[in-house]
Amino acid sequence: MPRDLFERELEQLQNEMLTMAHAVENALTDAVAMLAQRDMEGARALIARDRAINQQRFDLEAQCLVVVATQQPMASDLRIVAAILFNVNELERIGDYAKGIAKINLRIPPEPLLQPLADLPRMAEITRAMLHSALDAFVRRDVALARAIPRQDDAVDALFEKVNQDLLQLIIADSRVTAQANLLMWAAHNLERAADRVTNLCERAIFTVTGEFVEMDADEPGQTD
Amino acid sequence: MEKISVQHLNFFYGVKQVLTDISLPIDDRQITALIGPSGCGKSTFLRTLNRMNDTIAGARAEGQILLDGENIFAPTMEVTQLRARVGMVFQRPNPFPQSVFDNVAFGPRILNGARAQALTALVEASLRQVGLWDEVKDQLGQDALRLSLGQQQRLCLARTLAVQPEVILMDEPCSALDPLATLEIEELMRRLRERYCIVIVTHNMQQAARVSDRTGFFWLGQLVEYDATQTIFTRPRNALTEDYITGRAG
Repeated sequence: MPRDLFERELEQLQNEMLTMAHAVENALTDAVAMLAQRDMEGARALIARDRAINQQRFDLEAQCLVVVATQQPMASDLRIVAAILFNVNELERIGDYAKGIAKINLRIPPEPLLQPLADLPRMAEITRAMLHSALDAFVRRDVALARAIPRQDDAVDALFEKVNQDLLQLIIADSRVTAQANLLMWAAHNLERAADRVTNLCERAIFTVTGEFVEMDADEPGQTD
Repeated sequence: MEKISVQHLNFFYGVKQVLTDISLPIDDRQITALIGPSGCGKSTFLRTLNRMNDTIAGARAEGQILLDGENIFAPTMEVTQLRARVGMVFQRPNPFPQSVFDNVAFGPRILNGARAQALTALVEASLRQVGLWDEVKDQLGQDALRLSLGQQQRLCLARTLAVQPEVILMDEPCSALDPLATLEIEELMRRLRERYCIVIVTHNMQQAARVSDRTGFFWLGQLVEYDATQTIFTRPRNALTEDYITGRAG
């Protein structure tokens, strides 16, 4: 094949993006598990791990630019490189949401949580699964899968709403819990935003195949506008 | 606005068919790029647009090429006039072994016997159009072959412009030039686009993507895809086009 080297470079870019995505997936679920367990040391370590994720983003951006400059990709090849450039930025932001949850963990005094965290881990698990599927759709060029994933965001939104309502009830019952409840609301918000960003990854998976920019409204699954 | 309309063009060298049923519109004041692998027929196609292939024994065309609605294959078409209206710049600069001035003045002298004063103005205007005037205005009597390759190619373009064509055909005009001279020609093409219909054959796909408005992809004598350049290079409709521009075919 005349473009063997380029094919290998594209594959390497994709593989390194998947490695970064794996680190981000773990960061999301770990951050919530550490919050549930009030694992402060783990939270500090997770914040440090985020620096590695940020560095992976910069490294991948640099590699994409080298590929553009040296291989001058066109058409679907160009879309793949452009999508990777976009995706690593989104992954880095999702990593920041995980780091945000770790920081929330550190801001809550060493005291028990207001209630057992059942819904936040569930939100993190769904978001992690969405993220994994979105990258899978990208690598497999699976438009149908990419279109289906944002529907799962409904479940994340519903859990976000439930967490907020539950915490509001606790605040109404006892205003002394406001500080911790507020921080937990922000943790839920981070997860909700992370799931929204997965929708952006799905849009890029579709773009890679079709060349069309499709905005997928996470609030209206399967819809485009 | 459509300047050239190619309709069901077939072209033969003897019994060998090298172009098959080519139809496409070519717009005025636009740059149309033709791409495809070696031997796909794109240069042959380019040369049909001003009947340069007529000089090849056994060459034969079927179909129509309309220039402003007039069939260039019609018996009434004066080929010399056609080539004045549809000028051509070749792969390698090919200045005549004459002075810079005489190279540019060559066409007007032959075609309409331009008078000396008018000729001087025409040479200056042509050299200015290609951005060469300031570089050669003090050396108009100098042998054209003493210019750099990039300057020689711009001189050849000025020679083409001096006969005031309507269409400029360019057959890989930068293939012999260094990167800077290439960019100068490309910049020049963008300026000339304001006044002329330009058709360029190029193997350099980045060049086609940079300079042209529309691109046609040729393969085995057929026009596989013809569309806005942006579409061809970002999301072509045809899988063969995709394979060619991504380097997986051809």
